[in-house]
Amino acid sequence: MIGYILKRVLSLIPVLFVVSVAIFLIVHITPGEPAAVILGLEATEDQVQELREEMGLNLPIYEQYFNWVTDVIHGDLGNSYFMKEPVTEAIMKHLEPTLSLAILGEIVALILAIPVGIIAAYRRGSAIDQSLMVISLLGMAVPSFLLGLLLMLLVGVHLQWLPVAGYEPIQEGLWEHIKYLILPAISLGAIQAALVARMTRSSMLEVLNTNFIKTARSKGVKEYKVVIKHALRNAFLPILTVIGQSFGTLVTGAVVVETIFNLPGIGQLIINSIERRDFAVIQGVVLFVTLVYVLINLIVDLLYGVIDPRVRLERK
Amino acid sequence: MKRKYLGLLIALGMILFAAVGCSNNDKESKDSNEATKSNKSYDDEMNIAVTAQPPTLDSVMTVSQVALDIAGNIYETLYTLNEKYEPTPMLAKSVDVSDDGKTYTFHLREGVKFHNGKEMASDDVVASMNRWLEKSSRAKSLLGGAKFETQDPYTTVLHLEKPSSDVLIAMASQSNFPAIMPKEIIESAPAEGVTEYIGTGPFKFKEWKQDQFIHLVKNDDYQAVGEKPSGFAGKKEALVNDVYYHFVTDHSTRIAGIQTGEYDIADNIPTESYEQLSTMDHVKVHTFEGGTLTMFFNVNEGPLADVKLRQAVNTALNMDEILLASFVNEDLYELNPSYMNPNQPQWASDAGKKVYNQGDLEKAKKLLKEAGYNGEEITLLTTQDYGEMYTATIVVQEQLRQLGMNVKVANYDFPTFLEKKNDRSSWDIFITSNGYQLIPPQLLALTPDWAGNDNPQIKALIAEIREAETPEAAKAKWDELQGFLYEYLSSTVIGQYKSILATTDKLEGFEVFEAPIIWNTKVVK
Repeated sequence: MIGYILKRVLSLIPVLFVVSVAIFLIVHITPGEPAAVILGLEATEDQVQELREEMGLNLPIYEQYFNWVTDVIHGDLGNSYFMKEPVTEAIMKHLEPTLSLAILGEIVALILAIPVGIIAAYRRGSAIDQSLMVISLLGMAVPSFLLGLLLMLLVGVHLQWLPVAGYEPIQEGLWEHIKYLILPAISLGAIQAALVARMTRSSMLEVLNTNFIKTARSKGVKEYKVVIKHALRNAFLPILTVIGQSFGTLVTGAVVVETIFNLPGIGQLIINSIERRDFAVIQGVVLFVTLVYVLINLIVDLLYGVIDPRVRLERK
Repeated sequence: MKRKYLGLLIALGMILFAAVGCSNNDKESKDSNEATKSNKSYDDEMNIAVTAQPPTLDSVMTVSQVALDIAGNIYETLYTLNEKYEPTPMLAKSVDVSDDGKTYTFHLREGVKFHNGKEMASDDVVASMNRWLEKSSRAKSLLGGAKFETQDPYTTVLHLEKPSSDVLIAMASQSNFPAIMPKEIIESAPAEGVTEYIGTGPFKFKEWKQDQFIHLVKNDDYQAVGEKPSGFAGKKEALVNDVYYHFVTDHSTRIAGIQTGEYDIADNIPTESYEQLSTMDHVKVHTFEGGTLTMFFNVNEGPLADVKLRQAVNTALNMDEILLASFVNEDLYELNPSYMNPNQPQWASDAGKKVYNQGDLEKAKKLLKEAGYNGEEITLLTTQDYGEMYTATIVVQEQLRQLGMNVKVANYDFPTFLEKKNDRSSWDIFITSNGYQLIPPQLLALTPDWAGNDNPQIKALIAEIREAETPEAAKAKWDELQGFLYEYLSSTVIGQYKSILATTDKLEGFEVFEAPIIWNTKVVK
């Protein structure tokens, strides 16, 4: 097991290397002068040149890359030109809202998706199944920003039940923290729910038709036990993969939803940094996001073994 | 059948529930409003939604409007502007100008304290003002070679190389304004600007949460001047304890926040939301002077280096169409050829009005022929990050196509737009919205760096304006210069626009003068 984890972690190195070269080149080839953006519309050419020099942007590109990678290996992602703070610090500050939103979004998704998927599979072909699947299709088709704006108008502006925008850290109290996240979590969760529900349904259908389910039923096992304990557990591997992917998407930044609800998360950080041409932050966040995505996939792989002992046996 | 009805009943129930929820809510808010009107109590906090996080609050280092609006509460200047745009003393008591106009002696107010408790003295003023002369591109171009010196703790002297009529105006201008801060802060500041924000203003800097908000608090030791409030001048009083400037990039979120009362002020409302907000209950829409929408021509390279062709383009333009498309509502723009604020009597000018807004295609076609135009491609550079600039560009493209020109739009994000603008071979025309300036020499249309317009006649006329002995003589020279600009056509004004901000109806004493003024403002609970 430890050998497997080690192998997977080592395989990260080439991925991160390729990503680092790609993002460095994209960021530096894209036109747009960070010094000019920082100094503003009316800055003179002399001022821009002076700041370029200070920021080390006049060095040859390979030298800039080498300097950056050397620092990254030493755990230093550089400093933000715009925010005047280390990139690692900026990422950590923006991680809390994103993480909270991802967890809440995933909870919303699972609460909606798993029962819907199970019911649809159990009642296969019925009107309930068909209407649930149509709703989930709609859920996938409606973009999160549209759902977000509609929720904001209805729940925030019209009913005034929840705040329309902003963020309070968890230290200010759990409810203070969560009330700003409910609407964005629903906007995000609804779409993920649609994906997970469809996967749950198809995976459950497959398992419900197998012989061991028939055996369980013929033994007189109670129906809810058949569905939850026998069928769902066996159907869970592909569902887990989708959940892992959807959580990866949520953690790595829900750009549009964070912008609409003004949540200072990773998504906003990357968008703002692109507008500000804050090279160090863009590079740092992309590397970080890659790392998180790969790690989540690794954790999902390891969870396979927890849910299905056969996977563990095969590896041995 | 039963199930069908059950579904219907549930749906009806939900609608009813929502409707009851709404009406209760409305009733409650009306009730509470009436209660507060009869028995007012005031909030300690004010929340303002601004469009973006500023790069710094060091006013000398930035021209970002958001930065200057926030910094204006923390810092003060020797002279500032009253509502008539006249330089008015703030941290200075008065000034004596020598007969030759080359020495300005500023008498400082005594007992003014910085936010760190130290009393302001001439050494602080000298350090701040000399730094401004050194760092600010505006100050460098207007007052090159000038120097501030301390005469005694409450007297500061400015020495100029040559006299100029606009010294106090330059010192009172908002763009790159010369904030007075303690000498020690300046001496320890890194090259990219100060990081400790200590001034003398009615609010103190408390906290900056990256990508979230800037928090200011009331300065309890603030010493106001006695005069009546007027523009940025006169008596200032902080009437709330905490002010939060939230960075809210999405305009629909700013608008929703005003409707729910989460924000008391929402800055930079897009023109297309003006009518919608004007009809809303509990929301007040404020329009104020914005600036000019200006078109710049490439006078150095490409087909438009030929003045004849520029004249053809200018003759074809229908400014009314461009402005209506860009600003949506007639309340929000004005057809006027003035490069300077038309409401500022000293500089408003209609020179060149004969060639402004002609929209005469036939005449333009003739000029086009005379210029020998042969279908060469004209590139309009723009950015969609500023809606009005992009829309205006699209309308101009259409108008020039009707004239028979081969026109292409090059649209980039704002940082790329800035970079492309500096590459003179990659554009023929670009349009920008430019805030008003206080004196003609500050105009971007006259700045060689901006669009490559480095004409000797323009330079000579700028010098004459600055050296003019009376305001009338300076105005006459400016009329001449604006007239020349419409002949030479390095640029043309498309029109004047207004800026919009929205507030809730809970603010008392709130005013807008170039920026939202939040001192002397109360928030009703």
